[in-house]
Amino acid sequence: MIAPFALPFMARALAEAVLLGALAGVVGVFVLLRRLAFVAEALSHAVFPGVVVGYLAAGAGGVGYGALAAAALATVLLTLRARLSEDTALAVLMGAFFAVGVILVSRRPSYTADLTTFLFGRILTVDAADLARTAVLAGVALGTLALLGKELLLAAFDRPAAAALGYRTAALDAVLNVLVAVVVVAAVQAVGTVLSVGLLVVPAAAARLLTDRLALLIAVSAGSAALAGWLGLALAWTASVDHGVPLAAGGTIVAVLVAWYAAARLLTLAVR
Amino acid sequence: MTSGVAAAARDVLIVDYKTNRPPPAEAGGVVVAVGDASVGYGRRVVLRGLDGVVRGGELVALVGPNGAGKTTLIRALVGLAPVLAGAVTVLGGTPAAARRRIGYVPQADTLDADFPVSAGQVVLMGRYRAVGWLRRPGRADRAIAARALEAVGLADRARDRFGTLSGGQRQRVLLARAIAQQPDLLLLDEPFSGVDAASQRALLDALAGQRAAGAAVLMATHDLAFASTACNVVWLLNGRQYAFGPPAAALTAATLGATFPGAVLTVGGSLVVGR
Repeated sequence: MIAPFALPFMARALAEAVLLGALAGVVGVFVLLRRLAFVAEALSHAVFPGVVVGYLAAGAGGVGYGALAAAALATVLLTLRARLSEDTALAVLMGAFFAVGVILVSRRPSYTADLTTFLFGRILTVDAADLARTAVLAGVALGTLALLGKELLLAAFDRPAAAALGYRTAALDAVLNVLVAVVVVAAVQAVGTVLSVGLLVVPAAAARLLTDRLALLIAVSAGSAALAGWLGLALAWTASVDHGVPLAAGGTIVAVLVAWYAAARLLTLAVR
Repeated sequence: MTSGVAAAARDVLIVDYKTNRPPPAEAGGVVVAVGDASVGYGRRVVLRGLDGVVRGGELVALVGPNGAGKTTLIRALVGLAPVLAGAVTVLGGTPAAARRRIGYVPQADTLDADFPVSAGQVVLMGRYRAVGWLRRPGRADRAIAARALEAVGLADRARDRFGTLSGGQRQRVLLARAIAQQPDLLLLDEPFSGVDAASQRALLDALAGQRAAGAAVLMATHDLAFASTACNVVWLLNGRQYAFGPPAAALTAATLGATFPGAVLTVGGSLVVGR
């Protein structure tokens, strides 16, 4: 389970997976508390056309910046949603952005291969620059949470009381939306737009089954997501190289997380 | 010598080292002043003709049927519902400017019982504004929060998850959160609905402590017996103000009949208000 990571590209993939897991695991707890799973889903889909445009404009190196631009645009639209209820606004956003992405990507001759890469990522081709970008995004997101965590917690728990204390709850919502967008952007190269939601939602949901304590919840969520990154990569490698069963690395990581969730669920059922 | 020190001390303005503000309003000082005010949302007026002065140490019952506008008045006093006409002054300024000194206590059953926070963490939230952005609550804040939880009789439940407490205990935790703010005005929205007798007593004891310290308390309630026996002032509301004053003066057949149309009977010389 360690040998494959002696190869440089596997070592980079491992670093990326662990970093992403820790980042998504922590932000995911706030997504869970604020019940924003659907926002995460919508943002991950909204990032798709940005990824495509970035790729068409500047090749693989443009993917991250395209994702960043699309996430920023989607977050602004989400914050400005005039009179629509939140789920309606999200559904409109998700459909519109995804349609644009599919139209753009379908104009490419290598349509299917490109689509697969954008949707499900390619963690094994992560280079040093990608890794550095992920580290910066993780630093920004975790730093923001360290500084604004208590306000975000209050607004998630008791929105009217937060407003009564003078906090701008809409601004706090926007901060969390931006953090979700940051995770999706960071995860897009490695696990693709679709699976990034799994990374964001599943570890926190599993951890919530196991503990009521907030500090422990954050630790378990981040730790399990990082571990799943390692385990998923190792499993995908072993299956593909040693047993000739090709497993996509990104998908395997998320599958490991889902299995972990199922195990946590069974454990809570058994304990009760 | 001793009396000289005491006399000198009286002339010194004591500023709380933690919150950096003068000590709370003296009992009897004006906390809320409302003059011919209307409140509501957007252009829709929910309550009109509001007039009254609430002083430190008073307990005011906001009484009216469902939909009378009690919650809207509470929201207006904390600056979350606009004042559409007239004047609403809280602690000498606009309601929004007074927010840090206003403890708002929502109904406990409006909150998610699954939320992974302990009772102690909830009470500590009352310190967040004083702690300020980007900083964590310190030892002094934790001590204040612990005292607040003690004041509502739940010192031993600090580590319990909020959602595992009974409805009445959750209401007490929310009051403790407001007390941790060290407020000069407490606003409570139906604090006794679905609350057992023990918790009701604990809430009242804690409120009495706050009133003794100079805070004014405004409470929306359905309980007319409580309003008439335990409160200094009754504020009768239903779309407009029907009475504001001591229970004996405010609670008459005429004012109650107007506030609760069709629900007031006279039985053997006593007034009975139905629902």
